[in-house]
Amino acid sequence: MKFPAVALKYKAILWRHWPKSYGNLVVGLTLALVTLPQAVAFSVTLAGVPPHFGIYAAIWGVLFCVMLNPSRIFHGGPNTAMSATIGVTLLPVAPPFGAEYMGYALTLGLMAGLIQLLFFLIRPLGRMLDLISEPVINGMICGIGLFLIFKSLTTFGGLPLNTEVEWPLWIAWQSLQAVLEIGNLYAIEVGLITLITCVIVQQFDRLRNMAILFGIAAGTLYSEYLSTTLGLQNTLIEQIGNLSSIGFISPSLPLFNQEAMPDVIAIVPGAVTLALLGLFQTVAAMRRMSRKVGGFTDSRKAIFSDAVSNCLLPFLSSLPTCASFNRMWLVHRLGIHSRIAIASSALWLLLLVLFFAPLIAVIPMPAMAAVIILLGANMINWEDIKPHLADRRETVVFMASFLSVLFLDLFGAVVVGSVLAIAYSKWEQAHPNISLRGNVLKIRGNIYYGSLPVIEATYYSAIEREGSVILDFSDCYYIDQEGIRWLAAAKARQKVDFADRRRKQDRRALERRTTADENGVSGQRRGKPDRRQRSEF
Amino acid sequence: MPTPAGKLTRIVLLLLVLGGIYLLATQKHMQREEDRQTTVALTPACAAKLGRYGLAHGEHYQSPYALQRTGASITVRGYSEEDVRAIQRGCNIVDDTQGHLARDAGRERWNTTRFIRGTHANCNHCHQGIGDKQDADGNRLKGSLNLGASWVMADMYDRFTGLLLPFELRQMQCYINSSNGYKPNIADDVIRDVTAYSRFLSAALELKMGSHYDEQGIDEIAASATPKQGDDYVRGEALYRQKCQNCHGRQAFGLEANGRVVAPALAGPNSWNMQSRNYFYYVSTILPGFICRNMPLGEENTLSNQECRDIAYYISNLPRPAGDRQGPLVALQQQILMTVMPPLMRLTESAGKHEVPAERVPARVQ
Repeated sequence: MKFPAVALKYKAILWRHWPKSYGNLVVGLTLALVTLPQAVAFSVTLAGVPPHFGIYAAIWGVLFCVMLNPSRIFHGGPNTAMSATIGVTLLPVAPPFGAEYMGYALTLGLMAGLIQLLFFLIRPLGRMLDLISEPVINGMICGIGLFLIFKSLTTFGGLPLNTEVEWPLWIAWQSLQAVLEIGNLYAIEVGLITLITCVIVQQFDRLRNMAILFGIAAGTLYSEYLSTTLGLQNTLIEQIGNLSSIGFISPSLPLFNQEAMPDVIAIVPGAVTLALLGLFQTVAAMRRMSRKVGGFTDSRKAIFSDAVSNCLLPFLSSLPTCASFNRMWLVHRLGIHSRIAIASSALWLLLLVLFFAPLIAVIPMPAMAAVIILLGANMINWEDIKPHLADRRETVVFMASFLSVLFLDLFGAVVVGSVLAIAYSKWEQAHPNISLRGNVLKIRGNIYYGSLPVIEATYYSAIEREGSVILDFSDCYYIDQEGIRWLAAAKARQKVDFADRRRKQDRRALERRTTADENGVSGQRRGKPDRRQRSEF
Repeated sequence: MPTPAGKLTRIVLLLLVLGGIYLLATQKHMQREEDRQTTVALTPACAAKLGRYGLAHGEHYQSPYALQRTGASITVRGYSEEDVRAIQRGCNIVDDTQGHLARDAGRERWNTTRFIRGTHANCNHCHQGIGDKQDADGNRLKGSLNLGASWVMADMYDRFTGLLLPFELRQMQCYINSSNGYKPNIADDVIRDVTAYSRFLSAALELKMGSHYDEQGIDEIAASATPKQGDDYVRGEALYRQKCQNCHGRQAFGLEANGRVVAPALAGPNSWNMQSRNYFYYVSTILPGFICRNMPLGEENTLSNQECRDIAYYISNLPRPAGDRQGPLVALQQQILMTVMPPLMRLTESAGKHEVPAERVPARVQ
């Protein structure tokens, strides 16, 4: 083949794939621009480390996760709750922004990564994370959405950020009043222009994916106009600022030495919290978003990718990574689900930081805050909330987790929501359907320590009335050891007969499976007696 | 998908809401600006203090106080009319934080009550003498939390967290913990005006930037400064009954008369919280130091170090609000204690035995 022909062929291939790769690149750029201010803000205001920590997390953290996690929608990078945990844990240990503090921050990240690795290696531990139910996650998402709006209010009004850990709702109210009374009006104008541009551009289907870019561009242009006419010293609009010192890669070592040991031991509880917070968010966000785009990714893979990334990132002077609800939501909204788009966001960010630092430097923070407010508002989606309000139990779980984000914190929301959800499902199991016809007592459900008292009550009243009972547990699918002992004791008293009216084919299948197990044919489960099968009569 | 008309309505609604917010913001800004320009109605104490220090706008400022005490005084750059108003408002806020003496408390005191839980807290309770406590001869007193002396030590490293704390952030700590309230924004006038007043005090007292003066902060009393008997709750209670109860009340819930705070609460919902450094279990040297140097009013420096520590220990055992960072469970526990304990205490004590006769309440305590 001659040269022009080869070129033509590649041109054809490029042309055919252009729309898709173009879409990927736009999504990547949007993601990069949304991640950038978050990375800067989280590292400086929450974690107490220089901005490059967050930016490296948004570059390398995202890249590692893309490489290790097969999900098409997973976006890692810096995270609010994790950054805040770092700040809260390390504040008593060393003064922020110092060399020691940064060393401890890296150590903390590494320890969290190792703990997460444990969650991968010990299978049941990782499986526990799956017990967070959908209403809990959706409640958390709505809570985080509101929280993001509240948190961005001060930046939107050009006021210093409120970093105090206080009651978020009250802070929101105070911040709103502060913005109205003493906010920088120029900053508010920039923020409003960004917000309105985004909303209007969103209405045109062709430009939908670029709405945020348009908004930021409009905000930046207006702020530049203000700076040239009035001067930055008069408008006092905060900008992202100079990031030109940030390079391609910056190797670092966590702080582990003789003198640091007492402090390292002191921050172990913080590391456990950090690891759990990361995993909870990763597993929850991935499951929710995968379902939204109609797919499934094993949470073990996400745990693995998080754990390995967090073990590597401390050596690249970066904050730990975990799934980001708001950015994954953005990926979903933009409608392009591919790992290439997500990887391109990290590369875009690298390019921007390396070559376009002066251009980024003038992006006003109020515009960024407006974008985050928009993201937060988009996360509160009526279509997702509505199904949970149909069922009373789901409503309770949803509201509990939603309110817990606002009144406690993310961790509290997970705990409160999950405990409620598990309690409800246990309650359900503890009340089997028991019917008494003649002297036949039929049980549909579980026979286990929780449901035994309910069964016993009916059983003894039936015995009193009828003298003897036939216990029919054809529809029982699980009997635990306590249940077996109780049944054996009842049988020994000779007042009860057992009946198993399972359909014939079921029984045959059961028998076949049992013989297969005994003969050791069924492969990997050989030698492990099936718990359910053992208790079936 | 919503119809185009629906879409349009939603966008128009959104634009209206955002426009409304913008208009509201401009209106509130204008109101603030107007408040900054209006002449300040000084509280009586502030009028006396600022008059004595010769606060007026002009090219230069020379402190009459320093001139009178040392016979010489340096001339510094003067204050503009705007500066003078800010200093006056700052003085008002320190003297009358809750705005009882103001006609429109919200506007004249920059909504300070928004940042304070409870109805007692006032800057003047700890920073006595409007942040500049002096004896009859005009001598400044050791450990009296002088605001001017605090300003010249501004931007210190915090002893406990190692953070560089600007003067503004230290004011915020007062709001969060000492008044058990909320943090005003650092750019708020309420912070700026008190800073302006503190700066003026340092100029009026001729304090040198970066120097440490005795009247700055607390004269802390560590356990090592006592005869090493250990701090004792029982001794503390007896001393409290004897020295403090007359003004602060049997349960230390403070004393109010005619809607005015005569003596602030040392416990209960109106007092400082468990994350304040006044709280003995958090920092054990600060409250004893305050008591020794500033209490009882008019009889300062009469208590021994050990007595101060005992009283502080006793006071800190009384129920008080939890700090914001201690989480909802501790907050709930403290709320229950504050609600349940007082009636129980009243029940267990013999009624009428400890009543304080009205004539024993000092006329001017605040």
